[in-house]
Amino acid sequence: MTARFRATPYLFLLPAVALIAVFVVYPILAVVYYSFTDYDIITPPVWVGLENFLKVFQDETFWLALTHSVIYLIATPILIVLSIALAIVVNRRLPGIHLYRALYFVPAVSGSIAIGLSWRWLFDRNGLINGVLQSLGVIHDPIQWLASPSLILPIAMLLTIWAGVGFYSVIFLAGLQNIPEELYDAARIDGCNDVQKHWHISLPGLRPQIVFVAVISSLAALKVFDEIYVLTARTGGILDSGVTMVFYLWRQAFQLHHAGYASAIAIVLLAITLVFSIVNVRLLERQEPER
Amino acid sequence: MSAIGVAEPVAAEPSALVDARSAKRRRRRRQRLGNVGWYAILTFLASITVFPFLWMLLTSLKGPLDPIASVPPQLIPGHPTLDNYGRVLASLPIVQFFVNSITVSIFVTALNVLVSALAAYPLAKMRFRGRDLIFYLLLATLIVPAQLTYIPSFILAVNVFHYYDSLPAVIVPGLASAFNIFLMRQAFRGVPNDLIDAARVDGAGEWRVWWQILLPIVRPSMAAVAIFTFVTSWNDFLWPSLMLHSRDGMTLPVGLAALQGFFSSDFRSIAAGVTMTVVPILIFFIFVQRYFVRGLAGAVKG
Repeated sequence: MTARFRATPYLFLLPAVALIAVFVVYPILAVVYYSFTDYDIITPPVWVGLENFLKVFQDETFWLALTHSVIYLIATPILIVLSIALAIVVNRRLPGIHLYRALYFVPAVSGSIAIGLSWRWLFDRNGLINGVLQSLGVIHDPIQWLASPSLILPIAMLLTIWAGVGFYSVIFLAGLQNIPEELYDAARIDGCNDVQKHWHISLPGLRPQIVFVAVISSLAALKVFDEIYVLTARTGGILDSGVTMVFYLWRQAFQLHHAGYASAIAIVLLAITLVFSIVNVRLLERQEPER
Repeated sequence: MSAIGVAEPVAAEPSALVDARSAKRRRRRRQRLGNVGWYAILTFLASITVFPFLWMLLTSLKGPLDPIASVPPQLIPGHPTLDNYGRVLASLPIVQFFVNSITVSIFVTALNVLVSALAAYPLAKMRFRGRDLIFYLLLATLIVPAQLTYIPSFILAVNVFHYYDSLPAVIVPGLASAFNIFLMRQAFRGVPNDLIDAARVDGAGEWRVWWQILLPIVRPSMAAVAIFTFVTSWNDFLWPSLMLHSRDGMTLPVGLAALQGFFSSDFRSIAAGVTMTVVPILIFFIFVQRYFVRGLAGAVKG
């Protein structure tokens, strides 16, 4: 291939690069600028230096939101384990298995708002969960699930896991189907039981998918918003018990019109995500030495 | 991909041939018993994933005489009715939301896949100055949470593009995605170079190579990317909720959130609204799911 300049590759790239420049790159640069200003979206930004950042680090709600977002990362390993388990369960030839696979995917395509509303109804004070627990005699009075500061985050995480398992298990299923059948036959002949078989063959074989899902789902956990929005009916929960980083960003920017302050929060979120991604990439490189 | 060799199983095989036949028979009997157990497990799991929606459906059919909060709970409506659906349709333009969502998702999917497939070709199969730099910059944008860009994008929408509170405001920013470019590039990389070189020798230009050779070959991956983009766009909430405010201009998720405010604790109506929005996307997915799973297998290989 020649080294002379050809316009063709750049023409192919042009639409995508132009769109990403306008809707991703420019906004990042603009957010950096806004983070140093006092800005309410309506009147022009006023330069205030580091004031927003100093305020962010003294803001108790910000620390609460950060803590909640970090806690939310617990969902990732649970998601991975359950998704692999589900993939192993559905990775067999049985009549009707495709129907079951489709059913497990239902939460993944239904949309977070619809899901959130249906969960809100399940966990309502008058909802089904209380109804069942009461009729079984487990509890006497209904529990205020969504109005309990200690419960809102676990319920949101449960929702995220429930909605995610079907989706991520499809990725693991694709990975399992790439593992040669002979390996399992050999393991069986060697006297491996089912658990050993998956431990020694499925898990190492799924390494690329595990890394992929770990990265994707932990980034998703850091930016949780929809679940909190619906479950707390836009409030963030009693005493901000459900406020996450992105929820707090949204509230500051679009409820309170503190665009400058919200931009500073956005920069901190970006920094955390970057550090997190670098760690992830390092792990990924270490796990794939053959590349 | 994995570090496990294939030599081991070959060596182990002969010893197993001895009592293979009786083992096979035993295994088959055990399998049939095992299948019943598997169906029990599969059905139990399916009930977990489907139940919240089933409960919504049942709640939405309950008449005014059916208790929605009783101990023990009433599962099947005693006086089934479609009144709740009528009430929702009368108070919110659900059909218009539906049309809006379809419009947005179709435009975003068609154009996004096109733009991504265009960008993916040179990144996968051409050598030119700046290729790696462009590729890694695109990858880096994947890390950036989209919500971070919403403040400047909001200001762009109001001051520069003047599409605030109209459908283009949710279509245009969704037209390029680094993730889709990445997936399409993976798919193109799987196409043998010989095929492309042969076409070039035959005098086909790069555009024809892309259109007539590459795109038909990667159709399964492209289908998966398209389905994924469609579902994501269909369910997208935060950005559309910032942009779309007029009554007839909302997409389904935005309208559904408005429904929550509108009917506050009228769960029969909320349930009817949720059911109406979930059923169409489910039907769509049931029809396309096998393309999705097949394509995804090719697209995500690490």
